[in-house]
Amino acid sequence: MKRLVTTLMFCVLTAAAFASGQSEETASADKQMTAENEVKEIQFWFAFGDAKRSGWIKDLAAEWNAANPGYRVVAEAKGSYRETLQAAVLASRQGVAPHLVHVFEVGTQLAADTGIFEPIGNVGKFDTSDYIEPVLNYYTIDGTVNSIPFNSSSPILYTNKDMMKKAGLDPDNPPETFEEILAACEQARAAGIDEAGLGFCLHGWYFEQWMAEQGAPIVNNGNGRDGRATETMLNSDAAMNIYEFIKELNDRGFYKYSGKFEDWDGSDAIFQEGKIMFHITSTADLGNISTAIGGRFEMGTGRLPIPADSRRNGVVIGGASVWLTKGHPMDEMEAARDFILFLTNTENMMDWHKMTGYYPVRKSSVDELEKEGWFADAPERTIAFTQLLETIPNQATAGGVMGTFGDTRTIVEEAIQKILNGGDVQAAADEARKLADLKLAEYNKNF
Amino acid sequence: MNTHSQYRSRVLPWVFLSPTLFILLVFLYYPAWQSIILSLFRSNLFLGTRQFIGLENFRNLLTGPLAPAYKQVFLQTLVFSVLVIVPGLLISLALASMTNSLGKHGKIYRILLIWPYALSPAVAGTIFSFMFNPDTGAVNTFLKQFGGLQPRWLDNPVLAFVLVVCGCIWKNLGYNIVFYLASLQNIPKANYEAAELDGAGVLRKFFRITLPLVSPVTYFLIFTNLTYTVFEAFALVDLMTMGGPMGPPPLDKAGLTTFLIYKVFQDGFGGSSNMGFAAAQSVILMIMVAAVTFLQFKYGDKKVHYGGE
Repeated sequence: MKRLVTTLMFCVLTAAAFASGQSEETASADKQMTAENEVKEIQFWFAFGDAKRSGWIKDLAAEWNAANPGYRVVAEAKGSYRETLQAAVLASRQGVAPHLVHVFEVGTQLAADTGIFEPIGNVGKFDTSDYIEPVLNYYTIDGTVNSIPFNSSSPILYTNKDMMKKAGLDPDNPPETFEEILAACEQARAAGIDEAGLGFCLHGWYFEQWMAEQGAPIVNNGNGRDGRATETMLNSDAAMNIYEFIKELNDRGFYKYSGKFEDWDGSDAIFQEGKIMFHITSTADLGNISTAIGGRFEMGTGRLPIPADSRRNGVVIGGASVWLTKGHPMDEMEAARDFILFLTNTENMMDWHKMTGYYPVRKSSVDELEKEGWFADAPERTIAFTQLLETIPNQATAGGVMGTFGDTRTIVEEAIQKILNGGDVQAAADEARKLADLKLAEYNKNF
Repeated sequence: MNTHSQYRSRVLPWVFLSPTLFILLVFLYYPAWQSIILSLFRSNLFLGTRQFIGLENFRNLLTGPLAPAYKQVFLQTLVFSVLVIVPGLLISLALASMTNSLGKHGKIYRILLIWPYALSPAVAGTIFSFMFNPDTGAVNTFLKQFGGLQPRWLDNPVLAFVLVVCGCIWKNLGYNIVFYLASLQNIPKANYEAAELDGAGVLRKFFRITLPLVSPVTYFLIFTNLTYTVFEAFALVDLMTMGGPMGPPPLDKAGLTTFLIYKVFQDGFGGSSNMGFAAAQSVILMIMVAAVTFLQFKYGDKKVHYGGE
C-alpha cells in the first residue's frame, strides 16, 4: 500500500508540474494578447525558403510596419507552396487562419474551392489597372480579382552563345521553333560539338506552356474558366505535337535531364556546367543562373520554342499570387490588402525584378525600368517581357484551372518519361488522359 | 505461475502502465482508428469534405483503372524489402564480425561504420541526387576518367532501383552493426577456443558458432529492417528519385521506386489530396504490419536459439 501511495504522489506531482508549466504559458500568451490590442497583427505566410527572397519580404514588412503603427505584419516562410496552402487550410479550420497566403498558380482552383478565401476584389475599392493584363487575367475568375499577383514568371530559352558560335550558328538569333532547335542541334553536332542538345527538367509546367502557345486548352469548359472542368485534353493534337517533339529530341540524343522528376536544380546544373547548348527554364532563374555561370561562357536568351506550324499565342503566367482569408475584422482585411499592394508597388516590383528575374507585375515598373535603361544594360532580360507582352489574351493563355492540377502534372510527367524510355506515344497519351480524367471526376464528386 | 502475485493491488499495474497507454492512445490508437473511419469516406484535405462511400476506396485500389498501379507498387515494395534486408543483414554481420575480430584496434572502424546512421536521410538523399546527376554529378565525372562510361543513374529503371536499394542498405548499416556488435561481444570466447582445439577453420567457426548465436538478433533485425524498408525509406526515395522512373511495360503503371508509403503520401498530400483514398491504403498497410507482428510473436520463440534453457 505504501508503494501505491508513493506512486500516486509521484503521478500527482508530475501532473502538477505539467499544469503549472502550462498555466505559465497561458499567462504569457495573455500578456501578449493585451499587447496586441494596441498593435494588430497581420499574418503573411509565404513559400520562399531561401534567404534572398524571404529576406526581401521581411525587410519590406518591417518598412511597412514602421509606416503603419497600428498594425504589424508578421511574414513567415511555411515550406513549399503546397505545404503553405495545406497549413493555411488547416489553420483556418482551427479558426487561426493567417490573413495573407502565398498560393502558386496551379493551386488557384483548389484555393478557390477551399472556401477559406475572400476574393480580394471584394475588399473595398482599389485600382488594378496598373497590373499587367495577362498576369491579372490568370487570377481573375468570373470577372472578380481573386488574388494579387506577386511573383510571376514564364519559361524562356537559355543559350550557350560560345557553343553556338563554334557551331556556326548565329548566337543573336536563337531557334524559335521545335524544328529549328532540331536543325541547330544537328548542325552543332556536325561541327563536332558533343554538347549539342536541349535540356529542361521533366516538369508538367512546360507541357502546359506549350499547350497555351498553340492556343490549346488543357481542360474543357473554356479551360475551366466558364465552368468547372470535367475532362482533360492530354491526348489532343496539340498535346501530341509536344510528346512527339520530346520523343524526336530524345531519339536523336539531343535531350538531357537529370533523370529525376521536377529536378530544376539538376537541369540548371547541366546548363551552368556547359554540358548542353540550349536550356529551358523559368525567367525567375535568370539572376541565379547567370551568377552560377560566372564568366565561364556567354549566356543568351530567346523565346520559348514552339511548333513551326502553330501561331505563337503566348505563355501562361507562372508563379504565385497572394490571397486574403475570410473572417477577419474589416480593418485588418484592408490593412492586409494594403500591405500586399505595397509589396507589389512600382518601386518594389522593380527591385524584385532586378534581384530575381521575376516579372515586375506592374506596367509602371516596366516603364520605369525602361527609362532607367535597364533593358539596354541587361538585354537578356528583355525577351521575357517581349514574350509576355506579345501574349494574345484568350482562354488558352489565361491558363487552365482545375482542382486536380497537381495530379495532372504528375500524370503528364509520368507519360513523358514512359515516352523517353521508349514507350508508345499514343498509348502513353491515352493512358494519361484516362487517369487524369478519373482523378478529376473523383475530385468533382466532392461537390 | 501467477504473475499478478507481485502486485498486491489491482490498480498498481495500471498506474505503471498509464504513461505508455496514454502515449499509445493519443499517438497510435486514435490516429489508427481515425484512418479506418476516413477510409470509408470521400474526403479531400483542401475542401474538408466528407461523404460516406463505404468500401469504394478499397474497391478502387483492387479493381478498375487505378488498381494496376497499386498492384505494381505492392510488388515493388516486397522486392525492395527483400533486396534491402537480406544483403543488408549479411553485409552488416560480415562487417561487424571483421571489426569485432580486431578487438580494441577495431574502434576506429566501428565508429566509421556506425556513422552513416547518424546522418539525416534528408542530407544523404540530397547529396546522392547531386552525386548521381548523369551530366554533372561526381560519380559520372569520376567514371569519365576511366573509359567514359556514363550510366543514367536516375532514370534507367534497373540502375535507379538498385541505387535506391544500395542507398537504403548503406543508410541502415550502422543500426544493424551496432546490434550485431553487441551480440558478438556476448558470445563466450570459450566456444571459439574449443572449436579451434577441434581444428575448426574461420568459416566453420562462423557458420557453426557465430551464426546460430546471433540468430535472436538477426530475427529482431529482420523485423526492424522490415519496418525501415516499408516506412522509413520514404525520405531517400523522395529526394533521390521522387518515386520515378517509370518502368518498361508491364511495369509502366507507376514509378519503379514508388513504394507503399510513398504512394500513401502522393495520394494523400500530393496533387489534390484525396485523403480517403490514402487512408484506405494506410489501412491495408496497417493490416500487413499487424500480420507480420503476429508472426513475429508466434514464431519468434520457437525458431530462434536464445541460448540457455
